[in-house]
Amino acid sequence: MTENGNVLIGKDIHLNFGGIKALDGVDFTVERGKIVSIIGPNGAGKTCLVNSITGYYHPQRGRILYRDKDIFGLKPHKIARLGISRTFQDPTTYPSMTALDILLAGRYMHTRANMLHSMAYFGRSKREELESRRIVEETITFTHIEDVRKLPLATMSYGQRKQVEIARALVMEPKVIILDEPMSGLDDSMKEIVTELILDMHDRGMTIVLIEHDIQAVMELSHFIVVLDYGEKIAEGTPNEISRNERVTEAYLGGWSSAQQ
Amino acid sequence: MMIRGKGRRGIDYSKDLAILGTWQRWTALAVFMVVLIILPFVLDYWTWNTGWLIFINSTIITIIAVLGLNITSGMAGQVNLGHSAFVMTGGFTMAVLTTAASWPMLVALPVAALFTGLVAAVVAIPSIRLKGFYVAVVTMAFFYIAQFAISKFDITGGMHGLTRISPPAIGGHVLKTSNYMGWFYFMMILLILCIIVSVNIKRSRLGRAFTAVRDNYIAAASLGINVPWVKLRAFFIGGLYAGLAGGLLASSISVIRVDQFTFWESIWYLGMIIIGGAGSTAGAVMGVVFLQLISKIMSIIGSAGWIPGNVSTPIFITYIMYGLIIILFVSFKPNGLISLWQKIKINYKRWPFGV
Amino acid sequence: MDAGTNLLYLVVSGIMVGSIYSLIGMGFVITYRTTNVFNIAYGQFAVLGAFIAWSFIGSPPGPSASLQPVTRLILPLAIPLTVICVIVFGLLVERLLFRRMIGKPVFVTFMLGLGLLVLLRGLIMLMWGGGGLRALAPTIPVGSMTIGNIPIRKELFWSFGLALFGALAFLFFFKKTRLGLAMRAIYDNQIAARCLGVSARLNSQIAWVLCALIATAGGVLIAVGGTGVSMGLENLVLVVLAVVLIGGLDSLLGSVVGGLILAIGNNLAIYYSANYIPGFDSIFKMILILLILLIRPHGLMGTKPIERV
Repeated sequence: MTENGNVLIGKDIHLNFGGIKALDGVDFTVERGKIVSIIGPNGAGKTCLVNSITGYYHPQRGRILYRDKDIFGLKPHKIARLGISRTFQDPTTYPSMTALDILLAGRYMHTRANMLHSMAYFGRSKREELESRRIVEETITFTHIEDVRKLPLATMSYGQRKQVEIARALVMEPKVIILDEPMSGLDDSMKEIVTELILDMHDRGMTIVLIEHDIQAVMELSHFIVVLDYGEKIAEGTPNEISRNERVTEAYLGGWSSAQQ
Repeated sequence: MMIRGKGRRGIDYSKDLAILGTWQRWTALAVFMVVLIILPFVLDYWTWNTGWLIFINSTIITIIAVLGLNITSGMAGQVNLGHSAFVMTGGFTMAVLTTAASWPMLVALPVAALFTGLVAAVVAIPSIRLKGFYVAVVTMAFFYIAQFAISKFDITGGMHGLTRISPPAIGGHVLKTSNYMGWFYFMMILLILCIIVSVNIKRSRLGRAFTAVRDNYIAAASLGINVPWVKLRAFFIGGLYAGLAGGLLASSISVIRVDQFTFWESIWYLGMIIIGGAGSTAGAVMGVVFLQLISKIMSIIGSAGWIPGNVSTPIFITYIMYGLIIILFVSFKPNGLISLWQKIKINYKRWPFGV
Repeated sequence: MDAGTNLLYLVVSGIMVGSIYSLIGMGFVITYRTTNVFNIAYGQFAVLGAFIAWSFIGSPPGPSASLQPVTRLILPLAIPLTVICVIVFGLLVERLLFRRMIGKPVFVTFMLGLGLLVLLRGLIMLMWGGGGLRALAPTIPVGSMTIGNIPIRKELFWSFGLALFGALAFLFFFKKTRLGLAMRAIYDNQIAARCLGVSARLNSQIAWVLCALIATAGGVLIAVGGTGVSMGLENLVLVVLAVVLIGGLDSLLGSVVGGLILAIGNNLAIYYSANYIPGFDSIFKMILILLILLIRPHGLMGTKPIERV
């Protein structure tokens, strides 16, 4: 089923915007059930890589394989339906919806009621609504956002919106979840909560791709790290290896050494 | 979306979802139904002109049309400036089917609605790739082209339209008698069905998809939502409603002409949705009733001679009032009458602590 | 006229009318670029401006013009007064309606524009009556003339000249002067500019006044070119829509291109369709709009929006 237990593979991805080369021949491999982090300075191309994987950007060249299926060039909604979920760095705003609404909306691809069912409500639509609600409530408990369930997104704090964003991605029951800077802009206690959440998700067998700047968290959580700089992959390896890699420490870690571990 | 407080855990979700969950609501509904049933008798007996029943019938038709627009534009955010043309399509289809082809009304009406829905879906196709208000422009272009096209065909009566449309009848029994009462009940039943369907859509998977597409169509794709397909359905359902309204209109006034449908209708429809509260079924109904009442009152005042100026002045003043109301609502109450209503309810619950 | 001259006539008069359209389009682009407002009430601005102008200028003397405005004045007084009134109108609209809308999404301001459209229509009809065509007393030479061997009406020629002058003045203002550059820059991020203390308010005021002035100029030029002042001028908004969509919503030069394409194309459409589909020209604009939206939604010279995910 999977190639050597690797669930997500990218090969030689090239992405240009006009004259700007955002990704220059990037390869990466993500093993099933592991936590893989992608790190690098701002502008290194991390989010571009995520957008390429999830279908929002179309690289000029490359291959992206998900469970041996070539997903290069597929539309975002198709990729989501295959089981790859992602969060957005800036938590998605839906001005008129509450947290509950968004989470329920996230169950769209797991429900089958069609237009006629929706118009009639009684029957399949209602059954699926109740089932969705049950699953959503479970996710709410899992991500500890009970307090804000019925709040409109616009009135939540930044940290709360980021939590809802993660819950939103989880509710889609993904096989692979890509978290784009889930901790940026949060205070330490919130970061703790998110770190715990990531570990819980891992315990449940999810494959996690993590983009982060918080090196401490990255070192703690990851099984494998990929380092990007100026659109190129400059290093990859276990946290141990990366912290000893001079090229990485010079470009990005600012002198983080193994002594600090 | 309604805010009902934090909510308690472990409750019956079925109740949470239900529209008529509490006994107060059932009672309110029962009272409302009784009022509706006796309304035509009251009006017939009490008012000095049956113009009121005609007015109510025309309002019902407008509500049905606007409910459709509420789904396309209010819920799904696809601004449709050509909705009036969809109503026109439904009207002409109905006229042709019942008159030239002699179809019975009960068959022709759903067919007219369905056909209009399909036409609307076709109009949606070029809009799929377009964002925001470009969709509005495409629908506007469609409006003018449709007007032009329909006026060129003989089957639709060319410039003069179709007259002497067969009166609506079920199994030979004519519904639209001189006092309009049977017709009123028939349309009221249809209206109630339309309202129920609209509310059902809003609280269903499709309704949430609509809202997601409206608020953030880029992120909606990341939820696994096929945005073009959602847009298509939004237009299709809006077209269904418009076609139904058009068919009812054709049967109501027995005449249908291209110049009955102007671009202004599309603007009024949009205005009604904004004033009522975009996306909300109850809001759409409120918006229609509100504006229709204003225009009715203005015409009563005008014909009673209380407005200086010539005979057209009440119309001008109606325009001015409509314009002011739209501006005021967009500026100060962009969520419409429905948000006002919710504020009132919240304050009522909290009294005397609220406000 | 033979076929060749006919064609030439269509093209030449198209160029002239097109220039007027281009000028009008620029007014729209300016509002949109500097305030991000899609001013759908533009047609009513033109009607209002034209009626104000008529109120001061009056109709040409003669039996056909039975109406003369009470406030009729001589030309040197009439024109500045018109300009002043229009400026005041523009400022009022900005102050009362759109200032609080700075930074709001386009849809909201669009609906506000719709409300304004309706309101203005009612007001105009109330003040000047619902129907009726009034000729505008000639402010420019009237009559016939020929260019080469093509007969052209003088007023059209003069309108064309004025429009050309106006258009060039605009382009110069926006591309070369500091104020013009500032206005273009502010558009890019109104809220950030406001935070920096750049006067978004002044920018907004200028934009709306310019919009009102150009709309008035357009309305007057068209009225003088032969159609007279009437409510029918409100359909100018459809012309403008076609022009700016073809040219690109944020491109001044695009308006030039759009205006010419529309006018010349329209003339050709009228001429060639007269035998096949009478009345086709009334929806020619719409077909053009559909085509451009299908093929190149951002217009021939507009900037393609990039979506940041």
